Amino acid sequence: MDQLLQLTISGLAVGMVYALIGLGFVLIWKSSSVANLALGQIVLLSSWFTYGMLVQLNLPTLLGFLLVIIFALALGWVIERIALRPLIGQPILSLIAVTLGVGYFFEGLVTFVWPANSAALPRIFPTKPVQVGSAVISQEYIWIAGISLVIFLLLTAFFRYHRLGVAMRASADDQMAVQACGIPVTKVFSMSWMFSCTVAAVGGVLLSSIGMIAHGLVATGLKSFSVVILGGMDSFGGAMIAGPIIGLAESIGGGYLSAYVSGVTDIIPFVIIIIVMMIKPYGLFGETRIERI
Amino acid sequence: MLKLNNVEVTYLNVIRVLHGVSLSVPDGAIVALLGANGAGKSTTLKAISGLLRIEEGQVTDGSIEWDGERIDKKGAEAVGKMGIVQALEGRRVFEHLQTEENLMVGAFNRHDNYIKQDLEMVYEYFPRLKALRRNIAGYLSGGEQQMLVIGRAMMAKPNLMMLDEPSLGLAPLMVEEIYSIIKRFNTDQKTSVLLVEQNVRVALSIATNGYVMENGRVVLDGTADFLSNNEDVKEFYMGLSAMGTKKSYREVKHYKRRKRWL
Repeated sequence: MDQLLQLTISGLAVGMVYALIGLGFVLIWKSSSVANLALGQIVLLSSWFTYGMLVQLNLPTLLGFLLVIIFALALGWVIERIALRPLIGQPILSLIAVTLGVGYFFEGLVTFVWPANSAALPRIFPTKPVQVGSAVISQEYIWIAGISLVIFLLLTAFFRYHRLGVAMRASADDQMAVQACGIPVTKVFSMSWMFSCTVAAVGGVLLSSIGMIAHGLVATGLKSFSVVILGGMDSFGGAMIAGPIIGLAESIGGGYLSAYVSGVTDIIPFVIIIIVMMIKPYGLFGETRIERI
Repeated sequence: MLKLNNVEVTYLNVIRVLHGVSLSVPDGAIVALLGANGAGKSTTLKAISGLLRIEEGQVTDGSIEWDGERIDKKGAEAVGKMGIVQALEGRRVFEHLQTEENLMVGAFNRHDNYIKQDLEMVYEYFPRLKALRRNIAGYLSGGEQQMLVIGRAMMAKPNLMMLDEPSLGLAPLMVEEIYSIIKRFNTDQKTSVLLVEQNVRVALSIATNGYVMENGRVVLDGTADFLSNNEDVKEFYMGLSAMGTKKSYREVKHYKRRKRWL
């Protein structure tokens, strides 16, 4: 019973972080209909960058985080400016292929700069265990879930009420009409990449603060992909609900089954994707294409 | 005042679609740009608004001036900031946004304090939009979407509003309604309107003057009265014979009579 509760809480918390990284996917999808396949590598790169700041340069935690955020914003700007902007107006498949290329480039860059296989960040959050019901869990899980939730609420409000957020949603619908309204579409795209890289970086830091920085972080990009497919590619709320579902399935399924079937943890999210794609191809909360009859 | 001087437009550096178009839109006027499909009307509008570039086209000769300032080298964003706004052909609403959000996107480049007031103004012109303000734009009817597109252009508080075929695919009553609102907006706000239209009769009913285009050239221009009384315009664009009666199929020759303008 204690084990179940423990697995539930850690699953929920990790799921929230998956959801946060998934938001990075939704952001770009919503404004430009491009699938950002480099997300996992961005998570990896920014986690290692955090390691570089906090451990190798030994900067104070807050300053280090500030630099990480600035790094992520710059990263997003550079990716959009150099890799994607020249391809505006080209078939969407070439844009997606470019993100894949960007991803592999980052992976190579990480092995080049940080040849170590894995590293650990200093503990960022208090680790004192807290008692939840009958289970004892590390306080960190509550922190990372809380931070993910706050960022989610901020982004949702931004897209709903801020004029730039509304313009970003509009440009997902009709890029030409948006330009006819005098909105600089290029600015919208680079904003969405900057936001996306930032949430991916925060997600990466949260994940590696409770675990390790390792190559496996790239796979979390893929797991976030399964989160947005489950929740709907263009729905923030969907990602926020689907994230904990995937997290729970992974931790509970993994916790009970991995004794019998090794490696089952990593399969579960993808099994869920396949089932969802068969039943609800737009995801649980995705926007269906509007067709008036 | 908008002035086009011998404008030539070329797509992809080879396909020339406008061969020296000259026209002007005086302040506060409604000018109609008429002509058959493929005459170059929409291209003219896109050349003005700077949207040509997205379609790999460019102004290769001539000049476009707004109040004496050249705008033919400017991008869509800069032209939009000068108060020139184009409502694209075919009711391009932002389908997944609410009606009111659509309107607010139109006011993106404004930073004054009258946006709320102008929203009310648009709702006054189009009361139906107010009732539908929280509805998703993709599910509005065709007429409502056209109203929304025009309202979105109004929200930019434009000096020049360019409308590309606002009557496309609408019932005659709806066309009348929308045109009377365009006229009212023009009279109230002193906004110049450049109107591209296939529906010659309704366009000339509100326009002060007009231009007829064919094959990328202006072939006829004059006041709305002059154009609507012109025999050729009547015959070729309104389907009326010289007597002003409806043309009978009995008189149609078995070969197609075609007017050569030049």
